[in-house]
Amino acid sequence: MTDALLLDCEQAEGGVHLLMTRPDLGSRLDVAPLYELERTELSGYRGLLVGLHVDQRYLAARRPQLEAFLAGGGTVVFCGHVAYPFLAELSAYRPISGYKAADLVVARVAEHPVWAGVDVADLTWRRGVAGFYGRGGNPPPAGATVVHTLGPKAVPVDFVCRPAVGGRLLVHAGADLWGYLETDGTAARMAPQLLDWLAAGAERPAGGML
Amino acid sequence: MSLAVLDGGAYYHHEAIRGPRFRDRFDRVLYVPELADGDLDGCAAAIVADRILPAALRRKRRILLGFLARGGTLIVLGENRAHEWLPGVSWSFRPTNFWWWLEEGADPGHRIAAPDHEIFRFVEPADVVWHYHGLFAPPPGAEALAAIAPQADPEGKGGAILYDHRGVASGAGRLVVSSLDPFYHHGSHFMPAATRFLDGLLAWTDAAFRR
Repeated sequence: MTDALLLDCEQAEGGVHLLMTRPDLGSRLDVAPLYELERTELSGYRGLLVGLHVDQRYLAARRPQLEAFLAGGGTVVFCGHVAYPFLAELSAYRPISGYKAADLVVARVAEHPVWAGVDVADLTWRRGVAGFYGRGGNPPPAGATVVHTLGPKAVPVDFVCRPAVGGRLLVHAGADLWGYLETDGTAARMAPQLLDWLAAGAERPAGGML
Repeated sequence: MSLAVLDGGAYYHHEAIRGPRFRDRFDRVLYVPELADGDLDGCAAAIVADRILPAALRRKRRILLGFLARGGTLIVLGENRAHEWLPGVSWSFRPTNFWWWLEEGADPGHRIAAPDHEIFRFVEPADVVWHYHGLFAPPPGAEALAAIAPQADPEGKGGAILYDHRGVASGAGRLVVSSLDPFYHHGSHFMPAATRFLDGLLAWTDAAFRR
């Protein structure tokens, strides 16, 4: 089994290139052009990494394949704003309208191994500017574990859940978590810890952390 | 006359094209993977929204070049790897400086190269001043509209971030090319200058292609 398959969208900059060229991390994942998904056998992967630039209409058309992957115990990770809910547990993104910096402050409401040791201040601020991490939320389904919220209205910006068909789903309502690899501070820990979490797999003791 | 917009299926395409602010500014919305012969018939111009998956655009190259050959105008925005599927496009990568505005008094190098061009009756010059994704060398016959000065370019060469090429490839078509990506930023709710640029760009397309 390979830890992850990352669906590539040919962006000149961003996290994909950072992730796939680091020997310690790139050696743990395959990268395939997005539209090759329909010709890709997913059963050899523990996780599927879907980034913000993805064509969500295409993913919606591939929903049976994604559900089969989840049903087999796979984990889907999606970073971005949901426009076309391509899985049953996804709902359309809700932006925080007219946000101020205070509305964008990240708070941790549940511990999760992907974010272990990551200081929420390093998520809220980059060079003194707030808002890179998230400016709204993808509403979580009933029973999901919300990991981080934004501002006084506690808008959910990260959640994990167990989809009805099986497997695991992790959703971040912002830019790719693997895009923080070269940032200063603790946010760079997210990408390697995400691969570790995928490697640990969906089969955990009852009541264990998702 | 009418205007089409090409939609790449990303969330920011959905928000910018179908969201309340701009949804009335396009006569036809065409999802690129399903673009078919005849879909652009009757359109004077088509906007290729920024950051459509280049594989999808390359796959529809024949249809898009056919539109140009029949005299259509393509307005192609940033990060579409236009140099791989359109005539005369020479683009080179520059690392994006998202942070230029944090330094007080910094000059990011933007210059309006053709202030009398019709587009600047609608686009405020200040609204092209934000980060850009690479520079173009406009080919002979094309007119640079907005450019980065050589002294602000890390490679010292400078180049266009917006140009207009009428009669492209000795044909009847017109290409307006930019390395700005306003659909992405407007559709991500994250950069007011990008929204204002789109305001101006679509005011121009209203006037030039929709009456």
